[in-house]
Amino acid sequence: MTRTQDDFVSARKQAWAELEGLLVGRRFHKLPPASIARAAAIYRDVSSDLMRAQAAGYSPDLIALLDGLAARAHNALYSAPPYRTRAAWELIAADFPRTLRKYSRFFALGIALFVLPGVLGFAGAMKSRAFALKLLPAPTVEQLEKAYAEGFNDGREAGQNTAMAGFYVYNNVGIAFRCFATGVLFGLGSAFFLVYNGLFIGAVAGLVTAAGHGKNLLTFTCTHGAFELTAIVISATAGMVMGYALVDTGGLSRFASLRTRARDIAYLVLGAALMLLIAAGIEGFWSPSSAPPRVKYGTAIAAYLFVILYLALAGRRSKRATAAAATTTAAAMAPAAATTTAPAVAP
Amino acid sequence: MALDNTTEVETPEHVRFRYRVAGPVRRMLAYLLDLLIRAAVLLVVWVVIVIAFAATREAISGFVLITAFIMEWGYYVFFETTGDGRSPGKRVLSLRVVKEGGYPIGFIDSVLRNLLRSADFLPVGYMLGLLSMAADTRFRRLGDRVAGTMVVVEERGLVAAPLALHPPLGEGELDGFPQRPPLSAWERETLELFLRRADLTAARRDELAQTIAPPLAQRMGLQVRNPVRFLALLHHRAAATGRPRGA
Repeated sequence: MTRTQDDFVSARKQAWAELEGLLVGRRFHKLPPASIARAAAIYRDVSSDLMRAQAAGYSPDLIALLDGLAARAHNALYSAPPYRTRAAWELIAADFPRTLRKYSRFFALGIALFVLPGVLGFAGAMKSRAFALKLLPAPTVEQLEKAYAEGFNDGREAGQNTAMAGFYVYNNVGIAFRCFATGVLFGLGSAFFLVYNGLFIGAVAGLVTAAGHGKNLLTFTCTHGAFELTAIVISATAGMVMGYALVDTGGLSRFASLRTRARDIAYLVLGAALMLLIAAGIEGFWSPSSAPPRVKYGTAIAAYLFVILYLALAGRRSKRATAAAATTTAAAMAPAAATTTAPAVAP
Repeated sequence: MALDNTTEVETPEHVRFRYRVAGPVRRMLAYLLDLLIRAAVLLVVWVVIVIAFAATREAISGFVLITAFIMEWGYYVFFETTGDGRSPGKRVLSLRVVKEGGYPIGFIDSVLRNLLRSADFLPVGYMLGLLSMAADTRFRRLGDRVAGTMVVVEERGLVAAPLALHPPLGEGELDGFPQRPPLSAWERETLELFLRRADLTAARRDELAQTIAPPLAQRMGLQVRNPVRFLALLHHRAAATGRPRGA
């Protein structure tokens, strides 16, 4: 049967308007079940309307209308809850450390790219002030020398602590995020920022130590460093994983290869961000406190132990659970079992 | 008929539809709007802290910096995950972030595409992002490519009102017109779009019709007296016979 466009439009108009009405509200999923079922039914009809309109050569504005309607209905009908609160806990308890261990080679490379320039910067600045001045701007040098000469034995006033905590959140987490994001340039950005930050921090430490205030610096930085330095290396690691996926594509297009690792990369960055928030809190309130050096060294050792144990052990499955997971995976690969087998959950 | 700024999506049920992909200018406007909103929130937070807590200057700067951090890195992720891929600015410009398959985006997708903003921004003013968009048929910036997302325009089209012949068909007006006018699908579409245009002055309408009508009339061996009327009649006849040739 052939129909003119105008007949077609007047026959179907009402259904389209009805679907439009159902989609307008902000919360599609809060609608009563009957309305959602109705929307799904009209969506299927609209899809066939669209094909009919295309086949019959109806006018482009009509086809654009149906395209838009189908697209929005599809988007509403297929939307999943965007986040789960439980996922946040899973990230901290298991996903983040697990993912880092999966990329332990990249992490090791990251540590090397950070520590070696750090040692170099430290040794150089210890030996000659001129070397430090080549790396650091002169006003920074003066400011640093003054700050660490005074030390923090008397603590700081509370207002200043808050200010500095805010600054650390804004500045340091921002640096870590950029350190990650520039990894999209085949990993080079992340590597560059690691080396740069290593040299910079090393030179600062060398400079202050050469001036004889090494102890002030160490008592100040030792505790939050456990979180902060590790987290910066981790976010750069995520950047390098991203860059490597662009190079070793495994036969996929570059960005398709990257997308197979997208979840892992996001876990690493989110984990690093959490660690940096902790670091900012410590750096703002504990590091400058007047607690005696001995206590500070104690907390620093505890902090390093905590970070190392957490990254090395959290989310490890027991041997039995690993075996169970392996069997389940094998079963899931068999086509018959694929739909029925529930994924293994570590006890 | 694929215009170069649409992209086709096929769902698992083999339903195909097309999205209109959003170009850089429209996205830039949405970005500026979001930027204004973020600045406004920051200002409000600052004023509230100063008035309500009468805090010291240092403490104020601490809270303001934390708010600035949240606005810089958290604003988009929050609104895109809770608002189905739409930040307030995108909402106003009817933009939406969707996965490449047309699905809604999730938290992880939003985190990736928004963290990579800082790479898109390089070296200055989103230059890398613009380059990436220029090199892509779906206008994806780097963040979109990594997260597997795209930004689409969502416009509610209007159902076109039936195209009526005005004034109504007169006696003998269609004499000599072929039963099935020899028009290709493209030509018919052109006629329809022309007749549906309401923004033309009568003179311009005439002028345009004069360029289209004679070759068509010649093909059917007809004489043109009033070009606009001729095209309307031709469309009327073609529409009444349904399927165009070659569609």
